[in-house]
Amino acid sequence: MITRKQFLLAGAALTLTGCADIPPEFRLGLRTLEPEPGPFRAPVSDSVDLVSHALDRLSFGPRAGDYGRVASLAGTQQDAVHRYIEEQLSPRDIDDSTLDHAIRRIETLSEPLGELFEYKEKVLLGDITRAALLRATWSKRQLYEKMVHFWTDHFNIDSSKGDCRWLKAADDRDVIRVHALGSFPQLLRASALSPAMLWYLDGRVNRKQKDADKPNENYARELLELHTLGIHGGYTQHDVMEVARCLTGWTVRTVKQFNKGRVEFHGEQHDDGEKTVLGRTIPPGLGAQDFDRVLDILSLHPATAHHLAEKLCRHFIADDPPAAAIDKVERSFLAEGGEIRPVLRTLFTTPEFLASRRTKIKRPFEFIVSALRVTQAETDAGPAILDYLVRMGHAPFQYPTPEGYSDRAVHWMGTLLWRWKFAVALSRNEIRSTSVHLDQCAKDFGGESGLAAHILGRRPLPEEITGCPTPQDRLALLLASPEFQRC
Amino acid sequence: MPDPVAAVSGNGDDTQTLIVVFLRGAADGLTLVPPIEDENYYRARPRISVPKQDAIPLNGFFGLHALLKPLKRLWDDGHLAIVHAAGTEDDSRSHFDAQDFMEHGGVAGGGWLGRFLRFRDRPPQSPLSAVALGKKFPECLRGAPSVTVMQSMDDFSLQPKAVGAKQPSPNPDQLIGGLERLYAGQRDLLAGAGRDTLQALSRIERMRASVYHPENGALYGKDNFSLGLRQAAQLIKARVGLEAVSLDLEGWDSHFTQSTVMNPLMTTLATGLAAFYADLGPAVERTTVMVMTEFGRRVQENSSFGTDHGMGSVMLLIGGGILGRKVIGKWPGLAADFLTGPGDLQVVHNYRNVLAPILTRQGAGPYLRTIFPDFALEPLPLY
Repeated sequence: MITRKQFLLAGAALTLTGCADIPPEFRLGLRTLEPEPGPFRAPVSDSVDLVSHALDRLSFGPRAGDYGRVASLAGTQQDAVHRYIEEQLSPRDIDDSTLDHAIRRIETLSEPLGELFEYKEKVLLGDITRAALLRATWSKRQLYEKMVHFWTDHFNIDSSKGDCRWLKAADDRDVIRVHALGSFPQLLRASALSPAMLWYLDGRVNRKQKDADKPNENYARELLELHTLGIHGGYTQHDVMEVARCLTGWTVRTVKQFNKGRVEFHGEQHDDGEKTVLGRTIPPGLGAQDFDRVLDILSLHPATAHHLAEKLCRHFIADDPPAAAIDKVERSFLAEGGEIRPVLRTLFTTPEFLASRRTKIKRPFEFIVSALRVTQAETDAGPAILDYLVRMGHAPFQYPTPEGYSDRAVHWMGTLLWRWKFAVALSRNEIRSTSVHLDQCAKDFGGESGLAAHILGRRPLPEEITGCPTPQDRLALLLASPEFQRC
Repeated sequence: MPDPVAAVSGNGDDTQTLIVVFLRGAADGLTLVPPIEDENYYRARPRISVPKQDAIPLNGFFGLHALLKPLKRLWDDGHLAIVHAAGTEDDSRSHFDAQDFMEHGGVAGGGWLGRFLRFRDRPPQSPLSAVALGKKFPECLRGAPSVTVMQSMDDFSLQPKAVGAKQPSPNPDQLIGGLERLYAGQRDLLAGAGRDTLQALSRIERMRASVYHPENGALYGKDNFSLGLRQAAQLIKARVGLEAVSLDLEGWDSHFTQSTVMNPLMTTLATGLAAFYADLGPAVERTTVMVMTEFGRRVQENSSFGTDHGMGSVMLLIGGGILGRKVIGKWPGLAADFLTGPGDLQVVHNYRNVLAPILTRQGAGPYLRTIFPDFALEPLPLY
């Protein structure tokens, strides 16, 4: 018989062996997400070099080991960045199992559609928000996560509208994350049939049963204006009405029905007459196939190519992107049939992209995530972090109207106070469930000035590293500096 | 497009502030502002009506509950308008559903106030543009460009709170000095915003360093409602670019012995609003207070000296330029034929038609349809 004391000692011994002996696939939760061990290389140039530039734009900012790892992918910076781009364009070949194991802990993320309604909406929103932050912060598939972020805005759904409270979780998983680096036509199609989108833009009540019924144009309008052609894409009010007619009858099963949340087509609510969309005739009697016709017309339309090229270039190059780059990306989109990866490859190899160093301002989400990455912070990405995003008006899945959060700096200029407060709180380890090991960080980069070069992506100016008496305040100053707001 | 650098300042003297006071729990409009000349009112409430002789007469037909007497001065000054038979079309009579519906402005993404701040003609760019006083994030502000759920001035300071902090609070002067040097050197959008933020910060620090003395003999209560309004007044006077405040007064669900539920709340409400009004002085001209509740209560009293969930209630509007000293709009009456559902005051004035003219005055004009989607607006003449 073992005594209670022996039992406790055995337990303590098990605890002491720690995580090291447990294979990662058996480890759960955030403890698997630990900082990598140093030493690390910091940039040595006085201006942002090509490797730092690529990390600025293809990732949510460098983690401690990123600069050295990318720089050593090849003999020259050009070749190294080229390899990094190719690596990031093939996310499935990147081992991200550590993060995947940690994320698996958030059970609602894998719940089937119908089961989502069993949860309180606040739980679901909390979980997808936390997952978004954890993935952006920890994933090695950074470009993929950046594109998830991009499409989340492009196909914006505010989770506070109606059943989107439950259904956005499925949209994030089954639409955005499945297709983020896939094919635009497939992404568009998935979004059009996403129960959350049918709720958000009222597609579910777009029906024509009687002659007097007027179709609900909400989704049709945003489909043309925001998701495909763009506001100057050459469509008319008549096109909006005709697209709305084509999409009548698609709806979502709702309250107190079996299979709640399932999308289905109701032929008796469909307007089966002839329609004309952008000058092309859709014959009568096609029923549910009107949907395919409309998406075929829109998804690879030249105006769609232009609209998406402009938005991608705004996201990755500058708020007012150069026309030459838009032109190349647009042509690539059409030539590649809307495949997203080759389009991005084209974008990242334009001279305009390569030259556009620090022309963007990080949005609050990007600022917070880059600060967590650059400091190797351990975090649960929980309510304390979300609170800062709410204060800055950039909480994921909470933008009220269909156009999504703005990708232009001017809309985010009122957020500096909260960025500074975040910088101070993070540096001083005063954010709940988030911690930074500042001494270790500095040591890993051979001292504070190496750490500063890592944080800024270039060697610091004297005024960026002097003037504050404590290392915590010096870190806060770097994170609050104008240079760290840029990417 | 306005000059973006000028627009981010938010410290201008012409900043208008909206204060949204939500009376949670469904406040009885027939007690707050009783129709003292309506016989049906007294017939329906033999035991819990406001006796005519106790009410403060307003316009010959309506009176003010005696406990709201402090608001009489606002009425006499022409700064208080009342819209009766107001509310939403939501007929769930559920507190949660009705509050949710009202705050979202219909079935829509985000809250109506959040959409207003995001879409009216100039983007609000002060870090302090929207503040929720209390602990909870109010749904009406969801989707706003920046919201602070604030409990004290410390929430705005760069200096971390001393309470619960792991290290002693350092003096933030050197950090601020460092930021001043870094943001001074440049001439772009970001640098301009940095300088504006530093300016706002120094106003906040001055505010924190001084003891606030309400002006004009304003006497706030010691409750959280008064405390919140006092902080709002302080922020308005400090000109930090405050544009929207959300503040709750909870507990109006008077199913049982209505007077014991409502009387202390009416005192709190009237004391707070009257003190705020006095304290603001001339700044009341740039301020609008909107008092609303999710629905009113059954006209007929119940057996336990209370009232059950109903429809129409009352909205109080305080502020500069408002068509004060008036009960605005139509009175549907309390005769059985004019009641709705199980015997409730009709909602003649949808709350959106009350908010719309106020938001229009503050630049919402072309965006009203975004702020209140899927609703045919017929704004009331409030100005």
